Amino acid sequence: MTQLAARGVVKAYGPTPALRGVTLDVAEGEIVAVTGPSGCGKSTLLHCLAGILRPDAGQVTWRGERIDTWSEAARSKLRRTEFGVLFQFGQLVAELTAAENVALPLLLAGTGRREARAAALGWLERLDVADVADVRPGRMSGGQQQRCALARALVTEPRVLFADEPTGALDTLTGEQVLTHLVRLARQQHTSVVLVTHEPRIAAYADREVMLRDGVVDTTGLGLERPFAGERR
Amino acid sequence: MSTTHVLLGLLAAGNRHGYDLKRAHDTRLPRARPLAFGQVYATLGRLARDGLVVATGQERESGPDRTAYALTGRGREELDAWLAAVEPPAPYVTSTLFAKVVVALLVADVDTARAYLVAQARAHTDRLRELTAIKTAPTATLDDVVAADYAIVHLDADLRWLRTTLDRVADWHREVHP
Amino acid sequence: MRPATLLRLALAGSRTDVVRVVLTTLSATLATLAGLAALTVLAIPTPPGGDPYARSEQYASALLREPGLRGGTAFALLLLTVPVLALAGQCARLGAPARDRRLAALRLAGATPGQVTRVAIAETGLAGLLGTLVGLAVYLGGRALLHRPDARGRLPLPTDVLPSTPVILAVVLGLPLVAALASALLLRRVSTTPFGVVRRAARERPPGPWAGVLILGGLAAFAAIDPVQDWYRDRHQEQPALLLPALLLAGGLAATLGVVIGTGWLSYTAGRLLHRSARRPDTLLAARRLTADPWAGSRTFAALLAAVIVGGGAVGVRANISAELELRRLTGAGIAGDDNFYLGTLDLVDLAVGVALLIAGGGLVVALVEQIAARRRAYAALVATGVPRATIGRSIAWQAFAPAVPAVAVALTVGLLLGWGVTGGGTRPGGYAQEICDAGAQLCGDPATRAAYTRTEWVSVTPDVPLAQLAGVGAGALAAVLVTVGVGLLFLRASTAVEELRAG
Repeated sequence: MTQLAARGVVKAYGPTPALRGVTLDVAEGEIVAVTGPSGCGKSTLLHCLAGILRPDAGQVTWRGERIDTWSEAARSKLRRTEFGVLFQFGQLVAELTAAENVALPLLLAGTGRREARAAALGWLERLDVADVADVRPGRMSGGQQQRCALARALVTEPRVLFADEPTGALDTLTGEQVLTHLVRLARQQHTSVVLVTHEPRIAAYADREVMLRDGVVDTTGLGLERPFAGERR
Repeated sequence: MSTTHVLLGLLAAGNRHGYDLKRAHDTRLPRARPLAFGQVYATLGRLARDGLVVATGQERESGPDRTAYALTGRGREELDAWLAAVEPPAPYVTSTLFAKVVVALLVADVDTARAYLVAQARAHTDRLRELTAIKTAPTATLDDVVAADYAIVHLDADLRWLRTTLDRVADWHREVHP
Repeated sequence: MRPATLLRLALAGSRTDVVRVVLTTLSATLATLAGLAALTVLAIPTPPGGDPYARSEQYASALLREPGLRGGTAFALLLLTVPVLALAGQCARLGAPARDRRLAALRLAGATPGQVTRVAIAETGLAGLLGTLVGLAVYLGGRALLHRPDARGRLPLPTDVLPSTPVILAVVLGLPLVAALASALLLRRVSTTPFGVVRRAARERPPGPWAGVLILGGLAAFAAIDPVQDWYRDRHQEQPALLLPALLLAGGLAATLGVVIGTGWLSYTAGRLLHRSARRPDTLLAARRLTADPWAGSRTFAALLAAVIVGGGAVGVRANISAELELRRLTGAGIAGDDNFYLGTLDLVDLAVGVALLIAGGGLVVALVEQIAARRRAYAALVATGVPRATIGRSIAWQAFAPAVPAVAVALTVGLLLGWGVTGGGTRPGGYAQEICDAGAQLCGDPATRAAYTRTEWVSVTPDVPLAQLAGVGAGALAAVLVTVGVGLLFLRASTAVEELRAG
């Protein structure tokens, strides 16, 4: 059953079009990879689906209800309760310890401090980073930081997890460990995942791959005549 | 191929008979082509002839005769020499994949070459996903993971090449057919 | 490195660099104006005739007319440079991450550590020089514009004298030099590697309350003023000419420094208390931020606190002088001069404090905006994960007010005590003996009976603790913080835009 859907989503930054009519369905428990070269609009699509950005045209629906027309406050609440978000880096609050970072969404939801900490420690344990629970992000390795960020994204047991190049800043092995955790936990909890990546190897973790090119879904498979402007990162 | 040296390596851990060796080979190299019994015995015979292994005796347990083999000193030396030798990093590109695209461009048009590349990329992507699933399965052992990784990074390299070549195929065709 | 290259590199900067340079220039301008004004007052010649106390009758204000008062006037003007200098110090911190990145890029391009330091020094020095030149221009322009004798031909300001040229040159060239040296001194602790700036001394350790020693020392210096003068008077000796200014300057600086450094301790303590009781994300964020970098409070509030101390001091002085004037009305004895002179002077001081608060408020805004900008990625990520902007806004407000309220209270107290110290009141009951005859005009008029009906009374007026005025200064300072937080929140909207999340 379709949980989250984009219908003809259009989004431009000033005169620069980022999305030119994208349609995409994400089923319950499905892991969808959104791939494509740099600047193809994949991050923008993720932001529109997650209700962070409002599309210029088209619709975004969550369980059949249009969310692109909701107020910022309502979409904020949706993101807080039903969605989890994981970025490439830099999402942890530098001054808070790992456990406090993970507990943050629960505290926002009004959970008591002790209870929130207990839940946070549980998630850090599941991600094998319980040993850095009282360490600040600056003293952690990139992989530990990203696992803490994953714990924070999952601590509210969201229905959809949005991951934007979640391994982009990590080495191969560390990135793989994070992804393996992500996929395993998402499957356990039956959480849908929208995974944005430019790497085929990362996209292979998904059930399905959707390729974007110049702001539209590439339906021809792969071929689009254009000079090499490949995946420079 | 290195089957000879894999068998020598397996014997270095202790004496084994042919059937045992085949099973150990298939477990340790899960993504490799399974070894045939005939090949095991033929290889062992050759190794014994060259004095690299020696038959240590026979045991009979509810089945045919089984000859156990042991590594000799010379066998050990050969194994060490092989392990110490660096493999030359593929000096020539000999992939069928590459040859096919070149030939497709020579005998057909851009669209044929592109259709082939797209189909091949899809097949690669599917295989990549299969291997990733095997690797991330909760029951996967480290043997499975390491073997899958080896295949995955090679497929990944092929895929990157396929996608880049797709973007270059028109220019390339113009170069082949000026 | 050629001077032209140095100049080009020193002037190549981002928007925050421009803001820093402009603020450095502005504070240099203000410092120049205050310094030149003080020097002008000191340059007023004593009229010929040999009398060292001869008045310069060409001025409307007694502050300028009486030689005995001119020293104090000049000193007060110089004191005004304290908040200005605090602002300058604050400016140097502005945009530090951006500048550090720029310097690191220079190192990566092959510059030596010395060259990089020279670039940073040149930037500060040039900004300072520009500031002093603007200050000089404003001074000279103002001198011409304000040269307006009143009906009796008296001048409101000493626009008829100029400090000597070497003195002017010393100010115009000396201030930028001092600024450049100070920045060189600050950069000594910083080693710029090609991969970014490494601060050698990591300030991880929580600040101790030893700033209290500085405050007490400063207060003691002020409290010593009266006894020291008494000591010399009792022995009929002339006190050294520089003793009083030295006590005032050393005491004032020590107390100000103590309050500013003490804010670090206050921030840390406030953060710990807040963390212990934090139930909500906003207080938790604020508490952790305060304990993680307690010195941020010192840096942010330095100029504001200096202005508050001066304001508190002015309130203290006013309370004492009001008490003295009250006493004079009761007894006919005491300080000389007319009420309006003293109170008018104090109004001027209050005006200066207001200006200082405004300057400090400007610095506060930029410092806070800078802090928000430095964290924009984390803020944007929080908003993306559904943290309401209001929560982040509240955490910023907590982070500003938790240390600001106690720090302003301390600054006010210290200022008040300093003010009382200067005028020798508040702590000592002042008063005069007065003969009172209340037997009626007939009996009192007759010298024969008068003595029988006359008694001697000790009349004293204890100055009130001017709570209302102190509250006024405090409220002004906190209002500046409030406005700052408001501006910061406006800026937060832009900082949490989703563009900040792009991997880039």
